[in-house]
Amino acid sequence: MRRYNPFYFVLESLKGLKRNGVMTFASVAVLLSCLVVMGGFALMVYNINFNLEKLDALNEIVVFTEYDASIEEIDELAGQIAALDNVESTSTKYKEQILADLKEENPDLYGDVTDEENPLSASITITYKSNEGVPELDFQLRQLSGVRKIRNDLNVATTIGNLKSGIMLVFIWFLVILFVVSIFIIINTIKLSVFSRRNEIGIMRYIGATGWFITLPFIFEGIIIGTVAALGGYFLIRGAYSYVIAKVVSSIQILSFIPMADLSGLLLLAFFGIGIATGVVGSSISLGKYLKK
Amino acid sequence: MRMLHSLRSFERRICRLSEFLAVTSGARRLRFRTGYTFLSEKGCAPQIPIFMIEFRNVKKSYPTGTVALKGVNLHIDDGEFVFIVGQSGAGKTTLMKLLLCEEKATSGTIIVGDTNVTRITNRKIPYYRRKLGVVFQDFRLLPNKTVYENVAFAMQVVGTPNKMIRRRVPAILNTVNLADKHNSFPNEISGGEQQRVALARALANNPSVIIADEPTGNIDPQMSLEIMNLLVKINKLGKTVIVVTHEQSLVDYYKQRVIMIGDGVVAEDHVGGMFE
Repeated sequence: MRRYNPFYFVLESLKGLKRNGVMTFASVAVLLSCLVVMGGFALMVYNINFNLEKLDALNEIVVFTEYDASIEEIDELAGQIAALDNVESTSTKYKEQILADLKEENPDLYGDVTDEENPLSASITITYKSNEGVPELDFQLRQLSGVRKIRNDLNVATTIGNLKSGIMLVFIWFLVILFVVSIFIIINTIKLSVFSRRNEIGIMRYIGATGWFITLPFIFEGIIIGTVAALGGYFLIRGAYSYVIAKVVSSIQILSFIPMADLSGLLLLAFFGIGIATGVVGSSISLGKYLKK
Repeated sequence: MRMLHSLRSFERRICRLSEFLAVTSGARRLRFRTGYTFLSEKGCAPQIPIFMIEFRNVKKSYPTGTVALKGVNLHIDDGEFVFIVGQSGAGKTTLMKLLLCEEKATSGTIIVGDTNVTRITNRKIPYYRRKLGVVFQDFRLLPNKTVYENVAFAMQVVGTPNKMIRRRVPAILNTVNLADKHNSFPNEISGGEQQRVALARALANNPSVIIADEPTGNIDPQMSLEIMNLLVKINKLGKTVIVVTHEQSLVDYYKQRVIMIGDGVVAEDHVGGMFE
């Protein structure tokens, strides 16, 4: 078994990149831009979903009991509700407590109302596990005795669900298109590199070089382009994300962002993956016809 | 004594078996399998050419409809020196392309050593080409590599260890009288010298056959003789040399076997010059 010197391949690929300096720079720049756009969009989608999930958490069903229900009856009802499938947790507020809260919030309006005159009924607030199970839960609640009224935001839940899947679909298509564009650009660069070395490739073939011996330096070229673009893209996105968070969080307090530290590992991995895959696929495609004979 | 006798008897049997297998399946493969050298002092090894080239009724037509070869039959023995001549369009280039596996024959069989070139798979072509050393009219040297690097490159490509490259390249450059030019770039040396570098590169991997396609086409007559003398010298070292040319004076001067291709077939095949 003959051994090939691995430095030969790395050296040859670096020479190739240097020889087509302008095109190398262009491919790194374009791939970097694609990665930044992809990364930026991914972060946006992540954050939108993160905020939507928070809205999700606000989704609650409130069950109001009959006006004359006793504390025991209310507790029993709360117990029955807690035993239902889709129920995460329940919290009961008796009418006296609600009135006390109202008095505290607005003493002028409710200050005079005595416990005997209390027009309110007790409420049981339910946090549920999944949006999908809300209609079923709603039906189950209506079957229970002692329930006077149910308030839920089923429409909001459905809208949020639809929005999330819509955003995800757009994101995936966007990713596919940018990936294809990147591959075409890499193919062009490597093709130029192959073209400028076609004599060398011809001679290599006559001497008896195997296909992979000829291909490897070009694949390394693709990998180097991909890696440089991935690293550049990562640092650019990182800087931009921190800047945007600093600006937006201070002005729009309702929005919250996932901290960069939670995302950086995944982002770097994805960038390297996409960058290197683009490089390898691009180089292999551009060399195909030169290796047929 | 008896043991020695039985060993000799066993050796004779192996020889006979080798002879039979060599004829049926190609000598080189057999030599590899049995480790037998064919050069036994007992003379049991037959005079079997170990790297013969054979074309059997080879036809080649291109998709455009051009018929380049109409049924070529020829046989070149191991260690022969052959000129292939013919007018432009006679089919010389196609013959070379078929030999180098650049094109596939439409029909017929081409055997080179132990390889059936007409049935070779794409994956095996590089390994087959390592048995052939090729020299082109336009030298095809890499302009950004020195003379030394151009020769070393051929060895790098097939994975020769660096230690071996460092030892072998100077020796080959010495053979083609270019030892003092090893650091020059191709554009710094003459056409004849460039062709000698190309010859050195062809020899780098110790091929069994040297194929020279118009090797003197781009160089002056003085240098042409030098290149041809080198090819003769290489032939005397035991390698088969095939020279494709249309230079009548050279062919007549060297009085070697001449195969003339005309209209897609072997028109003439004789020894001793073309136009005598």
